[in-house]
Amino acid sequence: MSLLKLEALSKKFGDHWALKEIDFSIDEGEIVGLVGPNGAGKTTLFNLITCRHRATSGRILFANKETTLCKPHEIQKLGISRTFQSSRPFAKMSTLDNVVVGRVFGGEFHLFAQSTDIDSAKQLLELVGLAHKEQTPAGDLTLSEQRRLDLARALATQPRLLLLDEVVAGFSPVAVKQAVDLVRRVRQRGVTLFIIDHFLSLSLRVSDRLLALDHGEKVAEGRPQEVMRNREVIRAYLGMRHEDEPHGA
Amino acid sequence: MRKKETASQKAIQQQVAWAAPVLGLVLLLLLPVFARYNDYVLQVFTHALLLATLALAWNILGVSGSISLGHAAFFGAGAYTSALLSLDLGVSPWATIPLGGVLAAGIAAIMGLFCLRLRGAYFALATLAFVEIPKVITDNWDGLTRGSLGLVGLPGLPSLRLGSYHFDMSGSLVGSYYFVLGYGLVLLVLVTLLFRSNLGLALQAIREEEVAAEAIGIQVQKYRLLSLLLSAFFTGITGACYGHLIRYLEPGLVYGLHFSAIPMIFAICGGRFTILGPALAALVLYPVDQFIFHPLLPAGHEFLYGAVIILAILFMPSGVWGQLRKGHFVSIKTGSIE
Repeated sequence: MSLLKLEALSKKFGDHWALKEIDFSIDEGEIVGLVGPNGAGKTTLFNLITCRHRATSGRILFANKETTLCKPHEIQKLGISRTFQSSRPFAKMSTLDNVVVGRVFGGEFHLFAQSTDIDSAKQLLELVGLAHKEQTPAGDLTLSEQRRLDLARALATQPRLLLLDEVVAGFSPVAVKQAVDLVRRVRQRGVTLFIIDHFLSLSLRVSDRLLALDHGEKVAEGRPQEVMRNREVIRAYLGMRHEDEPHGA
Repeated sequence: MRKKETASQKAIQQQVAWAAPVLGLVLLLLLPVFARYNDYVLQVFTHALLLATLALAWNILGVSGSISLGHAAFFGAGAYTSALLSLDLGVSPWATIPLGGVLAAGIAAIMGLFCLRLRGAYFALATLAFVEIPKVITDNWDGLTRGSLGLVGLPGLPSLRLGSYHFDMSGSLVGSYYFVLGYGLVLLVLVTLLFRSNLGLALQAIREEEVAAEAIGIQVQKYRLLSLLLSAFFTGITGACYGHLIRYLEPGLVYGLHFSAIPMIFAICGGRFTILGPALAALVLYPVDQFIFHPLLPAGHEFLYGAVIILAILFMPSGVWGQLRKGHFVSIKTGSIE
């Protein structure tokens, strides 16, 4: 059964169609990569799913419930969390508090943080490898640490669907490998993942399926190896060599 | 990036964080003993304590990242409400002082309707302009407020009866001093609980990254409004106490820029990301202003505030107390006094 379903979803900014008639669905437990060149509409799609922007037309269904017109905090309550392309830590708060606040507001609200909230926040810091930094102000963490903190904070809200926006951009090969392991462990926790990955370094290794966008349109979807052989996808990433050559490829 | 601190530096910081407030509290409790024969010293410190409560109340909103330049609206509304109810209807100040806070919160709800959609400097300027509304009403509604004539002969701060013991807080300077000190300590406890609660976490998260706060399920505008209402409520109570302390009011005084700007100055100098910073700044800067700069420069002594805020913004953007407590702002986990 599909967890997230997009029906003819479109978004127009001024005269420009950022997304055009996207039909797609994600099943519970899947890892799906969202690929495409700069400006393809990947982050816009995330902003529509999380209701930061409102769709121009089309529908979004999450767990069979229409969410097209929800508010951002309502979407979170239904079970969708995200990380941001440039991470957005609560810089002056401790690393631990960053995760605790996600836990507190993702779950049932209590006036004071329960010790269980703090314990589960610590477990999440353990998971992303930041346990030794729990008292460090989040603003003092390195870029890769801030991305992992973003991930821990999003997980703390106990999402069913987690949207990761460029988690490995700028990472070293070693860090990418660690991220691959981390994403697999997140899936083991029962979380469905939708991953934006411009350079494909993460999504080719972990994704069950890929969705490829170009200029706001869906150009391909399917198993990663198939999508990467797709003419349209190659053209979007590498240019128009096939068409340029008079005798074909 | 910040240098790694050694363990001993950290231990010293922890000790400062504990020792300074405890020492300060003992000094404040015993101050009347030290200053028994000097009314002026008592008056100055009573006023400093009152300004400390104003700074604490201001920072309930400040911690959410909104800089208000309009708190005189709440201060004046609280002062006038309590003064008129006790003066004209003869109600005890024990009842009228909290009612001053309630009316101030009501005014804050109206202000929030118009100003809370704004951020940063736009919010600050809108609140600055908003003060004119209650001020003009108070100034011109002669039948109710006696307009620009002001009010005189307000009843003093209320008395406290504990069994047969009668603690008169209006007749003596010492009594007034302890009344304001008591209110200050109650407010400090409430603010500490608030900042350490999940509500406080939400307000800090909103200050740091509004978009991310919303994405983890925090209803940003609801919490911003709540912090404005609480901040205004306690500012109104402080304003009401001020009226009963000095026992006269006029619109230009209590709605003046002074009471909008001074809590911001104390909060920024002391550390608006901390609980104690704003109050400590009031308790240090106001006496310095009164005892040292006022005799030297009777006309321009307030240049001190202008100078310290420029210095703080340039060299200590997280305030003096924030700097001492660096890396240890309000936290639910560390359990230390901020």
